Amino acid sequence: MIGFLLRRAANTLVVVAAVATLVFGLIHAAPGDPFAGSLDNPNVTEEVRARWRAAYGLDQPLPIQYGRYLGRLARGDLGWSFSRQQPVSAVIASSIPRTLLLVGLAITLAFAAGVGLALAQARRRGTLFDRVASGTSLVLLSIPDFWLGLLLLLLFSYWLPIFPVGGITDAVEYRHLDATGRLLDRLHHLALPLLTLVLAAAASVARYQRAALLEVLPRDYIRSARAKGVDERDVVARHALRNALMPSITLLGTSLPALVSGVVFVEKVFSWPGMGLVAVDAVASRDYPLVLAVVIVGTIVVAVGSLLADLLYLAADPKLRDA
Amino acid sequence: MAAVTRNLPRMQSMRKWRLAALCCALSAAACDRDAESTAVTGGTIVVAVAADVDALIPPLVSSVQGRQVTDLLFDRLADIGDSLNTTGDHGFRPRLAERWTWSPDSLRITFSLNPRARWHDGKPVTARDVRFTHQLFQDPEVAAPLAALLANIDSVTAPDSLTAVFWFRSRSPRQFFDAVYNLLIVPEHLLGSAPRGQLRGTPFARSPVGSGKFRFARWEPAVSLEVVADTANYAGRPMLDRVIWTVSPDFTTAATKLLAGEADAFDQIRPELIADIQKNAALQLVTYRGLEYGFLQFNLRDPARTTLPHPIFGDRQARVAISMALDRAGMVRNVFDTLAQVSLGPTVRGYVGADESLPKIQFDTVGANRLLDSLGWTRGAGGARARAGKTLAFSLVVPTSSRNRGRMAVLIQEQLRRLGIAVEIESVDNAAFMTRMKDRSFDAALGGWRLDPAPGIRQTWGTAGSRAPGGTNFSSYESPEFDLHVDSALAAMDPARAHGHMRRAYEVIIRDAPAVWLYEARSMLALHSRIRPVRLRRDSWWANIAEWTIDPAARLSRDDVGLTPTQ
Repeated sequence: MIGFLLRRAANTLVVVAAVATLVFGLIHAAPGDPFAGSLDNPNVTEEVRARWRAAYGLDQPLPIQYGRYLGRLARGDLGWSFSRQQPVSAVIASSIPRTLLLVGLAITLAFAAGVGLALAQARRRGTLFDRVASGTSLVLLSIPDFWLGLLLLLLFSYWLPIFPVGGITDAVEYRHLDATGRLLDRLHHLALPLLTLVLAAAASVARYQRAALLEVLPRDYIRSARAKGVDERDVVARHALRNALMPSITLLGTSLPALVSGVVFVEKVFSWPGMGLVAVDAVASRDYPLVLAVVIVGTIVVAVGSLLADLLYLAADPKLRDA
Repeated sequence: MAAVTRNLPRMQSMRKWRLAALCCALSAAACDRDAESTAVTGGTIVVAVAADVDALIPPLVSSVQGRQVTDLLFDRLADIGDSLNTTGDHGFRPRLAERWTWSPDSLRITFSLNPRARWHDGKPVTARDVRFTHQLFQDPEVAAPLAALLANIDSVTAPDSLTAVFWFRSRSPRQFFDAVYNLLIVPEHLLGSAPRGQLRGTPFARSPVGSGKFRFARWEPAVSLEVVADTANYAGRPMLDRVIWTVSPDFTTAATKLLAGEADAFDQIRPELIADIQKNAALQLVTYRGLEYGFLQFNLRDPARTTLPHPIFGDRQARVAISMALDRAGMVRNVFDTLAQVSLGPTVRGYVGADESLPKIQFDTVGANRLLDSLGWTRGAGGARARAGKTLAFSLVVPTSSRNRGRMAVLIQEQLRRLGIAVEIESVDNAAFMTRMKDRSFDAALGGWRLDPAPGIRQTWGTAGSRAPGGTNFSSYESPEFDLHVDSALAAMDPARAHGHMRRAYEVIIRDAPAVWLYEARSMLALHSRIRPVRLRRDSWWANIAEWTIDPAARLSRDDVGLTPTQ
């Protein structure tokens, strides 16, 4: 197992290095530089812009910039963010917990809700409930995250003002609340972005899981369980589900990258100051060090997600473990 | 949120008590001036903004959000008047400086500082701070964005702690403006020892100390920033308790915050939002004259070989024909509704030299067709125009960040199609757009300028701005006649003379048509109706926010938060 983990870690390092190199080239090849925005102020001279470029080493040839970047990276220094005016590590440190909270909760709730819905559908297959649930899942799956987010925002923040419009806490009153009040305020602000991510992801899980369950239910061992008089609820939940979980575990590995990319739009819509919002701002402002850091962190998160999925495979399937 | 709502009854109860107290005081008609002042102070304004501040140290600030915050935290020596006059010192109001005197040769202005002025940490504001601020702005290590605007100030001396003397290189109508408008004074005792090239990394950059009517309270990057009333300020406490900026990068989210009552002020008004604001009884829409204008800009140089004229736009007649073909009034109405009017030229109404009687190229499609025919651009099969086998076609670059310009581009494309001109719209992000402008790598572009009180027309349309490396005259329009009149206007001490030269300069550039002058934005600020704004200045609506009040009878729970003892 340790050898397996070490191999995966080595693979991840190679992937991160390759992705960082590719993105370094791409972001520098994109038109525009980090200080081009100041051209909309005619009072800012080219001399000043040249000083800014020199201060951040952007006046150097690209290979030198790349070499310096790798050198800093090796020392654990992610650089200085031009757009946020603070160390990149500080930007990442403040934003990544917010995104992990959102994505972590979204995955947990989406899988719980998706598997639960699939179980209910499998037990009532062919009924009106099954058809309505399938149709709803398909609709939710087809709606882009950001659009679903905007719909929920209008519905629950404007027309029915139940939830706050955006942000992570109340801008005015949060600091004047007690500990319980602060927790509730955070949950209140978390609700809509979380719901957006959960609805889309749960729909996907439900569809896969339902199909897997329907494939398992006609099998002989299920028939045997029923013949032994096992309650239908137990047949589905304990016998069928356990053997039908593999597609969902596969989906877990692939849904993490999807959620990480989807969270970009959801964070923007709900002003949720996580990695997604950082990524959008960093690309728009050509904040090279921040873009690279976001990509590296994103790659690691995806690699870890994939590793988790593999470990779950091993836990769920004795045949793989033995192999 | 339960805890918030749990606190509301207490707040509402407090509000009732406050109202009751107010009523008693009014009915007794015995309240003295202090009591009256207490009755209207307090309250919170939440401003929804699209982006976070770029810096909190004045010499490093270049964004609007950064200006909004630093303008409240720091003081100038004097404030520009509401007329935005930049000639001499007419209309300027004392701020850090109680008074000032001019030397007989006008090359020196002596400012006498208010002896009661204090930094928010309690230290006195001195002339050394003024001298230090000037040094900071001009230090190449600092690379202050607006350093060039202080080029005429030779030095600042501090003969004593309350006297700052500005020495100028030459006499200019804008000497006083140069000395005060962009120079927000910063404390030497907190920044003096910081490495000049690393100011952004100092603790001061995260927690600034100013002398303005508001003190810094907290900043959570990309989330919100809060300033609170400096109740012991030498110039008197502001009427509000606090101002909070909340960052909402998405327009819909920011607009929803306003409409749902979570934000009190929003200045990025789009036409589609106006009806919703007007329907909402809790909101008011305040209109004030803006300083922005937009235009269809022609590149007068060939993008492939910039030493040669552009194959289409190098010809003034072709530019005039395109100007004639565009129904500017219709387009402005279509895109902006009532938020803009047709531009007079490279200026805005109310600026020196600009008035409604400036000549304009009239909308005349028949004339435009005739002019193009006479230039040899004749219609072929399908109505497309061509000359010597080359079709009359160009690309129009538009920044994706501006929805209005995107819409305008489509209308231009359609109107020119009818004239037989093919326009290909290229939508690019803002960084790419500005880089294309800088590199002169475009045929035509939809541009816009936001003006300062002092016109920057030399940089945007003058020969200097065309030839300087990284210059912002992106059209490469060069006219000695235009330059002459602009220079004469900017150097004229006599306002009437300045007006005359500026008007002549506008006439020249309108005649030469390096751009089609499309729109002049009318600025709008959406505010919660409980807020009573005072004097929205054209260059910065927030300039007098310290004087704004909240209707005591309409306070919300956020107005009753009050100032904690530490604040």
